[in-house]
Amino acid sequence: MNENLFASFAAPSMMGLPIVVLIVMFPSILFPTPSRLINNRLISIQQWLIQLTSKQLLAIHNQKGRTWALMLMSLILFIGSTNLLGLLPHSFTPTTQLSMNLGMAIPLWAGTVITGFRYKTKASLAHFLPQGTPLPLIPMLVVIETISLFIQPMALAVRLTANITAGHLLIHLIGGATLALINISATTAFITFIILILLTILEFAVALIQAYVFTLLVSLYLHDNT
Amino acid sequence: SDGAPGPGHWDADAAAGGLVDLAVPGGAFSGRRAPCLKNPVLGPGVLQAIRIFHTRQPSLAPIPCVPEYGGKVCLGLIPKEFFQFLYPKTGVRGPYVLGTGLILYSLSKEIYVITAETFSAISTIGLLIYVVKKYGASIGEFADKLSEQKIAQLEEVKQASIQQIQDAIDTEKSQQALVQKRHYLFDVQRNNIAMALELTYRERLHRVYREVKNRLDYHISVQNMMRRKEQEHMINWVEKHVVQSISAQQEKETIAKCIAGLKLLAKKAPSQPVL
Repeated sequence: MNENLFASFAAPSMMGLPIVVLIVMFPSILFPTPSRLINNRLISIQQWLIQLTSKQLLAIHNQKGRTWALMLMSLILFIGSTNLLGLLPHSFTPTTQLSMNLGMAIPLWAGTVITGFRYKTKASLAHFLPQGTPLPLIPMLVVIETISLFIQPMALAVRLTANITAGHLLIHLIGGATLALINISATTAFITFIILILLTILEFAVALIQAYVFTLLVSLYLHDNT
Repeated sequence: SDGAPGPGHWDADAAAGGLVDLAVPGGAFSGRRAPCLKNPVLGPGVLQAIRIFHTRQPSLAPIPCVPEYGGKVCLGLIPKEFFQFLYPKTGVRGPYVLGTGLILYSLSKEIYVITAETFSAISTIGLLIYVVKKYGASIGEFADKLSEQKIAQLEEVKQASIQQIQDAIDTEKSQQALVQKRHYLFDVQRNNIAMALELTYRERLHRVYREVKNRLDYHISVQNMMRRKEQEHMINWVEKHVVQSISAQQEKETIAKCIAGLKLLAKKAPSQPVL
């Protein structure tokens, strides 16, 4: 039973054993490997969706950027599926944990930056100074651009965490409000329940959108650096 | 029992025989069924060429066929076999009463506590059920359409290939038929050439005839002219001599005779009318 609002975000453990590893590995079961030419409906739809998404995501990249295709597609599938599974009742969403999101964002961002510095050093360094800045502002602008660069992984991780956590929290709160209002006034409780339904629809959308945004930004950082 | 097992069933004999055959060095068919493979140089190559195509499941363990449609469920969760299992003892409504009882028991004993999560569960699950009921069939059809498109593409390639080969066969047949009728062409050409030859021959013949006739005509006309000249000459000569031979006396006598005769005629003439 949930005593407070934080309980649903605690890392789940059964009898002292951390089962969060199992929970993180669970979504991979939901994407079966296509073993034949013509597969069942689930695999057909997944294949179609992956084709659609990968074409969209990788259109802007050159040959070098497209080597990241597997990484980007796994990223969007993982984040999307974990977010969607987290909307089920009494489930745990790994992406609400900042630790995990930082663990995804920092290596990927660092990978893009290091790739940029390795292969196009001058161009990567040139990113620190936008075109057409007046001369006296240059030192300050370099500092600002550096800060902006280093904030990118933080922003990626915190954005995902905050969105998903906020969504879960809101659902919890409004559900609690409905529960509390049932004894007081059934009509208000009903209105609150309608709000809850709308919020759930929003959360489904947010789950998918956040996955897309994360992956898109990583791909944009990649595009800048390849 | 029939010799050939049904699809998906495991043919122990063939599998065992196949395994045994594979274990024998030199190929799966050495000795018993294909003595040609005993040759160590060519054996492996022939083995690859006559490898068995997939006629059964690739696994050697006895696995059942993969069913095409899922098992029937009630309420989307519970298989119909459970209802069938309870039917003899509790009838049709048994499982439903069991389910309702369990739910009410857990609620009343607070085994399942109604919290905020309950309402979010109701909204989420309700939403999911609504979406599945409304759009489930169409999404299934879409997935089927994707598969059908893939199959149709391959089928089209196959049909195009078959059509190409069929067209090639038809073209070849028509070419062969044409070859049969080639002799008409040759006959016509032969006739043409024969006619041309004949024409040339006749033309030349005619020309020869004309030339010869020209020459002969020339000789004839020369002859005719000579004769005519001679005749004229002779006539002139005769006339001249005759005129010379007529003396003056004879001339006068002749004229007097003519006048007497005319006078005689003049006497007879007026008795007849002038016409």
